[in-house]
Amino acid sequence: MKLPKKAVAVASALAMVGLLTSCIGGAPEAERAAITEFPDKWDDEITIDVFDELANYMGVQEGWFADVVKKKFNMKLNIIAPNVAGGGDTLYNTRVSAGNLGDLIVVGKGKKLDELVKGGLVSDSSPYYPAMENVEKFDTAVTHLNDGKDGVYAFPTSVSSIKPTEPSEGIDPTFGPYVRWDLYKQLGYPELNTLEDLLPVLKDMQDLEPTAPNGAKVYAISLFKDWDGNMMVTAKQPTTFYGYDERGFVLAKADGSDYQGLLDDDGEYLRTLKFYHEANQLGLVDPESTTQNYDTMWSKVQNGQVLFSWWPWLGQAAYNTDANTAAGKGFELAPLKDMTVFSYGAEAYGAGPVITIGSKAKDPERIAAFIDWLYSPEGTYVNNSQTMGAAGPQGLTWDLDDSGQPALTELGKQAFIGGEAEVPAEWGGGSYIDGGSTLNVSAVLPADVDKETGLPFSYKSWPSYQELVKTPLSEDWKAKMGDAPTTMDYLKDNDQLLVAPGASYTPPADPSEIETLRNQVKAVIVQYSWKMSFAGSEAEFDTLRADLQEEAKGLGYDKVLEFDMETAKAQNEAREEVAEKLG
Amino acid sequence: MREYPASRGAAGDDMTSQLVLQEVAATELEESPATEKASRKWRRQAGGRRSMGMFLCIVPFMVLVFVFSYFPLYGWIYSLFDYRPALGLSGSEFVGLQWFELLVSSPTQVAQIGQVLLNTLAISFLGIATSVLPLIFAVFLNEVRAPWFRNSVQTLTTLPNFISWVLVYMIAFSLFSSSGLVNNILNDAGLITQPLKFLDTDQNVWLTMTLWGVWKGLGWGAIIYLAAIAGIDQSLYESAKIDGAGRFQLMRYITIPQLMPTYLVLLLLSVANLLNNGMEQYFVFQNAFNKETIQVLDLYVYNIGITGNSLSMATAIGMLKSVISVVLLLTVNWIAKRVRGQSIV
Repeated sequence: MKLPKKAVAVASALAMVGLLTSCIGGAPEAERAAITEFPDKWDDEITIDVFDELANYMGVQEGWFADVVKKKFNMKLNIIAPNVAGGGDTLYNTRVSAGNLGDLIVVGKGKKLDELVKGGLVSDSSPYYPAMENVEKFDTAVTHLNDGKDGVYAFPTSVSSIKPTEPSEGIDPTFGPYVRWDLYKQLGYPELNTLEDLLPVLKDMQDLEPTAPNGAKVYAISLFKDWDGNMMVTAKQPTTFYGYDERGFVLAKADGSDYQGLLDDDGEYLRTLKFYHEANQLGLVDPESTTQNYDTMWSKVQNGQVLFSWWPWLGQAAYNTDANTAAGKGFELAPLKDMTVFSYGAEAYGAGPVITIGSKAKDPERIAAFIDWLYSPEGTYVNNSQTMGAAGPQGLTWDLDDSGQPALTELGKQAFIGGEAEVPAEWGGGSYIDGGSTLNVSAVLPADVDKETGLPFSYKSWPSYQELVKTPLSEDWKAKMGDAPTTMDYLKDNDQLLVAPGASYTPPADPSEIETLRNQVKAVIVQYSWKMSFAGSEAEFDTLRADLQEEAKGLGYDKVLEFDMETAKAQNEAREEVAEKLG
Repeated sequence: MREYPASRGAAGDDMTSQLVLQEVAATELEESPATEKASRKWRRQAGGRRSMGMFLCIVPFMVLVFVFSYFPLYGWIYSLFDYRPALGLSGSEFVGLQWFELLVSSPTQVAQIGQVLLNTLAISFLGIATSVLPLIFAVFLNEVRAPWFRNSVQTLTTLPNFISWVLVYMIAFSLFSSSGLVNNILNDAGLITQPLKFLDTDQNVWLTMTLWGVWKGLGWGAIIYLAAIAGIDQSLYESAKIDGAGRFQLMRYITIPQLMPTYLVLLLLSVANLLNNGMEQYFVFQNAFNKETIQVLDLYVYNIGITGNSLSMATAIGMLKSVISVVLLLTVNWIAKRVRGQSIV
């Protein structure tokens, strides 16, 4: 009996080790003295880990942006991107369990940020805040974000001095029915009264161009599955043409005039599913939709295999190249008579993601200086993502002309209009596009105005750029649309834009039970949405719809909907409040 | 040359007999009452020393079993909390049996778990039903006369075992997707106008999954039978031939009965793995259309815990697996007791 006792002792020792290692937390950090100025020079080079929930690139930042950061801060950025790693929150969970998420962290505010603050994984930047003079310009937003927290734990993103009742988008809306304008023109610009009118038009367009230049079959609509969340993401998009956006399982209208449950019989979501179902019956939906991801679909749009897009940043960005637009081919907005497109108002106190410093950061002072720089005019020009219209470093891609107006340089024209340019060696060399900031977070909104030039930071809004990108396609569209200078102007002038005031509303964290129910219900919703879109007959569609409603309700849909409904209404109150206060 | 081994053998014999003598002496000593106490002490010490050595030999394995089989049970505690990784277990809220209540709270939820168990068992039983295929394959392969052909068939069929499921899915995708090879051929031949949906359908999912499993595992499964066939006593075949048995009769009456013990052992082992039918295969093949019929227990736990980010709930469901395994074990044990009169555990 002696030996088993020893075995027990060994076993319990092992158990203790296990328990202890799981209990070791971070040591309390030393109190730091407040500073009012950052040093100009940093002696030793460091590489910081950037945990960035928005980044679509994993690895060390390279190219001209890396060069700028290196010269200014003697620092390299090692980007850790859960989007690239995949597996949902697995990477986040693993890293927070280990007690170190990263040195610089870009994460959603609300539940995650609160957890990180509570769990001691992010640090208080109060000692550096007095020195952060660029961030200070947005002090209201910073204060609002850190309200109720004992210190300055996070910095808001997408801040601006634009009114919250004004769109945050520049010249293009976020959503809108975009079609291949050249084919639409050939059909004689048929009138579109409502969403369903698109079906026969798309059918005719597809008949006009049955095969793409690469020989592949053209399908008017191509869907993808990898962004699906609370619902089938491509089925939500057409609801935005009518001013709705999702808040959990609720579709809430931007002006607070209507709230729909996702599965309401006469709701917009089921209407879209029906739309896809009918489109599929007409042979308009790409059969590969069910298996492909965004990248595959993107390259199909690029190759001219797709004729409809929910977003300008898909259809136009992928297909409207120099060569195509010169030939009059490309995506443009084809307005539906009854649409009121949803637009995100400029967030008064910043958008959903926030920037924060990890509690185990190597050199928090330098990181604070880096964050501050992101809010400076220089940082805004350089850091914003290229699809948002970031102009790049002054002197490389753009400069002020004789009259003090910003204009693209030759290299800028090559990069932004031609699609690629080689960066000279003194700027770090390499491809311009690949060398751009991979942080993919806008500290300051690109639509915000630079006080120096009096024009927005985004090059797309500069008159000099507008002049450059005149093409037969855009001229044709403008002529048809009553000479509207941009899509946004057209929508505003025709009262077809519904701006949701940017209240920077943070929805309350789901209680754990709601969260669990939601995760199960949403899996069912996504699963059935796809089945319904590809149902073989109308009768099958109706059976699937009934099954979906029954199964979702059985799993607790109503309970989650009730919770979301309250959140949606609270969000609307916040919107009304901010519109009244700052609008 | 001849004497050397002989003498060694003799020496060995001598040593053995010496040992025997010692043993006898020890027994004799034991019998004398005067020295009984001392001898018992000596024996206990020797025995202790010997079993200590034995114990040290198995310690590594005990540690392994403990670390990988018992220590993880500590993780069950997560099912009683609302675990948030950022806060750690100590910072997370204790919720008692909330997750277990949630599991049985709605009929739909129960039906979903029922469907998952049905999928798991159905695919497992189909797997067991097809476990006879490698045996048949091995028997026939053994009959192939040309060695080069036999060897190349064996190599080619074993190879898929070493391909990961992700790559298998790539193969499946390029063959069977709506723009895959098969659909293209059928389309070009004018047999179909709309691509057939092989992958994104809920038809015959259990069957196709089993077939993929067979394709991947057939050659590998056959190896052990081929080895067993090589071990069959050739005189059995010779005497059967003398009795006038033909080729198929040899297979029917000699090879297959000789392989039966091996087959039964493997069958028993696969029954023990009934619930463990893995998840990689189903994970890569799952999509919105086949999800209902492809979700096996392990995949369900993954979908809820990792994809759905409900770690505590997933732990609770994972425990279900252990409970069912224990029930299965007890059932098999009960059957064994009934049939053979002695229990396994």
